[in-house]
Amino acid sequence: MTSTTETSKPSFIQRWRSLHAREARLAWYLILPTALIVFGVVIFPAIFSVWISFREVGLSNLNDVFNAPFVGLDNFQKVFNDFAFKFQGMQSWGAAVTSIVYSFLATTLTVLIGLIAALLLNRPFRARGITRAIFLFPYVAPIVSVAFVWKWILDPRPSGVVNDVLISLGIIDLPIAPLATRGLALVIVIIFEAWRYFPFAMLMILARLQAIDRTMYEAADVDGANTWQKFRNITLPELRYVLGAIFLLRLMWTFNKFDDIFLLTGGGFGTKVLPVLTYEFSFKLFDFGRGAATAMILLLILVIFMALYIGIVMRNVEEE
Amino acid sequence: MSASYASTVQKRSFIDHMAGWINWSRFLFAIGLFFFLTSILFPFYWMVSSSFKTTAEIGAREPVYIPSALNMEAYKELFDPNHPSYQDFGGNIINSMFVAIPTALIAVILATLGAYAIARLRFRGKNIMLNSILMIYLFPGVLLIIPLFAMIAQIGDRLGFQVQDNLPVLIFTYLAQTLPVALYMLTNYFRTIPSEIEQAGLIDGCSRFEVIWRITLPLAIPALVSVGIYTFMIAWNEFLYALVFLNDHNLFTMPIKINTIYNDPSPRPHVVMAASTIMTIPIVILFLSLERFLEEGLTAGGVKG
Repeated sequence: MTSTTETSKPSFIQRWRSLHAREARLAWYLILPTALIVFGVVIFPAIFSVWISFREVGLSNLNDVFNAPFVGLDNFQKVFNDFAFKFQGMQSWGAAVTSIVYSFLATTLTVLIGLIAALLLNRPFRARGITRAIFLFPYVAPIVSVAFVWKWILDPRPSGVVNDVLISLGIIDLPIAPLATRGLALVIVIIFEAWRYFPFAMLMILARLQAIDRTMYEAADVDGANTWQKFRNITLPELRYVLGAIFLLRLMWTFNKFDDIFLLTGGGFGTKVLPVLTYEFSFKLFDFGRGAATAMILLLILVIFMALYIGIVMRNVEEE
Repeated sequence: MSASYASTVQKRSFIDHMAGWINWSRFLFAIGLFFFLTSILFPFYWMVSSSFKTTAEIGAREPVYIPSALNMEAYKELFDPNHPSYQDFGGNIINSMFVAIPTALIAVILATLGAYAIARLRFRGKNIMLNSILMIYLFPGVLLIIPLFAMIAQIGDRLGFQVQDNLPVLIFTYLAQTLPVALYMLTNYFRTIPSEIEQAGLIDGCSRFEVIWRITLPLAIPALVSVGIYTFMIAWNEFLYALVFLNDHNLFTMPIKINTIYNDPSPRPHVVMAASTIMTIPIVILFLSLERFLEEGLTAGGVKG
């Protein structure tokens, strides 16, 4: 105390320091409630679910979950041997392969349609503002509503729109049930994903398109480049980074998606993906250990995607 | 003679004009736009129009593209207590509101405090915190629901509340999905407010809290509103957690109720479509009225969907 008052310099530093300390303390007060809740509802449960995946947890011992018996890799073994999980040839892919195929195809289609939509909306025309807003409808509407509308449009009864159109075009003779046909169901679910999530890709791509330097196109015009050459040599390279980022982000989100497939097909007819399988193990069979093990396998595949994301995309962000 | 000459000139110039206007790129553009607009709007048209159909029109030999009249049969089943299979959908709307509004309010308040700290103040562990929040974005909801269920069952056992059929518990779990989004979006927004404005306030003798309350928050109102609406939409639309945590029909939120009506043994698509219409319209109106803000948020925060 006395030593600080002797000279003016240390006291200044100390005051500076204490201001710093005050700021840090304030920051912690501000962030503490959020941090606690995030820890309580996300981080701790995430760790806890690793623990559960090695235990035998059912409805009977749910109230005493911390004393659940340790079963080693039994849960994982059960998942790997489950017919719903493992690959058994082209007739029955199993959840792991279905998940990967589904997320890759759905993401590719989403980004592709998002790109086309962004290119359409990038040129000026009357009513562009309202068109843009309409293009976002599928993304903002509640999943339950749009999933059931799709189901109703694809209804196998004669009052289903798709059947009516296909019959009057002479493509089919009798009504079909697209969501209850192996193979076709997966295709429909992929198309649904692209229909619902392309606006997200579109918005990100549109933002990037509008940031491209116009003088590059003018220079290309002077050189006599045609539209395709301009797209190929200017637009695509400029979009490369954002396309990669959207692709990986959407890939991970699609991989995690439960609602869409559960509502459309209930996970039947060759569309059972890992999140649906996790749900069924946990809340249909009430085998929480096996459910957690499935979620762990899901997470493991996801971590590989994440590593790619951080390795490729985050690095580019820092460079920009 | 001269008149016919004039008309041919005019005719040719009109054809020339048309030919000049319609080129391949315009043609493709028009086709593309038409394709997108129909495939987006038709499902929404089908949802609203089906909700006004009669049972006979719904079960007809072929689809009825335009309902004969604005028939309220489906809506009567949802809201009219005298209807033989009355669904009490009004109660479900109230449940959804009861869950979504507190979720949005709590998420915005907590995220504002946290986001301000991350954007403005210097402290150790800041970047780790922001990055770990980004990671949470990528976490699957199905992964968290098992431990959350077990955890809350355990806590509820000690404190004497039920894990299922407990709307406050549902609100608590929704914070897991909304807080990271809200925190990320608001942090981005606070970073765009120049810190010189706040420093001016500090120099004029305001305390930190006064600066936040009088300067930063008023400037951030558009962002707070859009984040509030986002989190509201997440809670309003949420399906999986509500499906697992709710068993009692009286406590169902709208998505679960619609799912129940759909899976009823006697299919009534018009009732499902009426309920879906009621659930969708407020969201679309909210979105359209705040499109500018929300789009910025979408591209900045990359809202999970």
